[in-house]
Amino acid sequence: MQDITNRLIEFIEENQDKLYRIAFSYVKNEDLALDIVQESIEKALRNIKTLKHEEYVKTWFYRILINESLGCIRRNKNAILCQVEDLKDDIEWNDNITIEGIDLYNNIGKLKEKLRTVIILRFFEDLKIEEIARITKTSPNTVKSRLYKGLEELKKLIKM
Amino acid sequence: MEEIKKAQEVYKSIKIPSKLESCVKEAISNKTKKYYSFRGLKYAMSTVACTFVAFIFFVNVNPSFAQQMYDIPVIGDIAKVFTVKEYHENDDLKLINAKIPAIQNTGNTDLEQRINYEIMTKMNDALKEAEDRAAEYKDAVIATGGEEKDYVPVNIQVDYEIKYSVDDIISFVIYKSETLASAYTETFFYNIDIETGKNLNLKDLLGENYKDIVNEAIYNEIEERSKDSGNSYFTADEGGFAGITDEFQDFYINSSGKIVIVFPKYAIAPGYMGVQEFEIDEQIF
Repeated sequence: MQDITNRLIEFIEENQDKLYRIAFSYVKNEDLALDIVQESIEKALRNIKTLKHEEYVKTWFYRILINESLGCIRRNKNAILCQVEDLKDDIEWNDNITIEGIDLYNNIGKLKEKLRTVIILRFFEDLKIEEIARITKTSPNTVKSRLYKGLEELKKLIKM
Repeated sequence: MEEIKKAQEVYKSIKIPSKLESCVKEAISNKTKKYYSFRGLKYAMSTVACTFVAFIFFVNVNPSFAQQMYDIPVIGDIAKVFTVKEYHENDDLKLINAKIPAIQNTGNTDLEQRINYEIMTKMNDALKEAEDRAAEYKDAVIATGGEEKDYVPVNIQVDYEIKYSVDDIISFVIYKSETLASAYTETFFYNIDIETGKNLNLKDLLGENYKDIVNEAIYNEIEERSKDSGNSYFTADEGGFAGITDEFQDFYINSSGKIVIVFPKYAIAPGYMGVQEFEIDEQIF
């Protein structure tokens, strides 16, 4: 048990930037994203005994993080909807950042939760289809079809 | 889709706040605070210190709730006036462990009935709300691809802490927390003068000038604490502290007989700062 806990803590410490970026991509707000990360860690540590296999630390924690993010969106529905999608203070500007990129990034936030999650995990976090399937508790085929559908909807949104 | 790479560039450039590391450390060290408060508190919760004197009997409280409660002994001097009811419930949606205080034998039955009724109704409502949220959360787990068996019942705790009890004055705090989403915790403050039967407010204790006294102390303390770069408070524009609005501001009386003003998590500072407490340096008792 102690091993799994240590492994989890190690994973969290090494990947804190990623965890923050995922949370941020859901709520687009620094304070809320920090809260999500914090709540997720506390929740994971409290429920660590439900995690049986050490090799699933990563996907298990991602699932908690995503559930926390979605929960946070629900609780703060109005605040988040009102917010303008102006990222100027939230990103480090560099030459690789394009208007199209920002537009697309913002549009991903408009996708349905299920589609948004697979897009973020697959294209931003470069997770494997199998890992995403474990995180979302679905099958690899479902993940693939959601990815496809997500991309289709994004194409429509960009054209608009 | 090639464009997605461009979005990934944006994603990779999301600024990492300097606070992240301390946030993560704090969460890992699991310094779970004694209480949290729930996010909408500022707007949703009216002050506990309402002074309606209504003559209402216990029968109005949900009878099934009242019947399932039983008394647990309270130790020490305080037992004379303080009693605690314990209540448990456990099903696949939630696990409730509640210790709900009540006052007794004060020789002031109006007061006892009023306060106890108020506590009971509040706890009843709070538990009901927690239950609704648990149901909502369960739906959300399933909606996001989880299965029913993956849902861990929400753990709802109600507990209390006696802050001050000397002579006729009793100050206590009731905490209600839901451990699946700790952001949903409510805190209720009671400062009672047993002899007069009054819920004491800041004006009663500090006089007409209470606002100036409290505001000055808080502004100074915020300034002092802000010197540490690890601390941050919202500015007035961001919804930060802008002076207390009335004498019903939440507070308790600490063991040294001083007023401690309490702001819930998120109320005047970012969530990682936790609950904010300010002791007012006036000896009131």
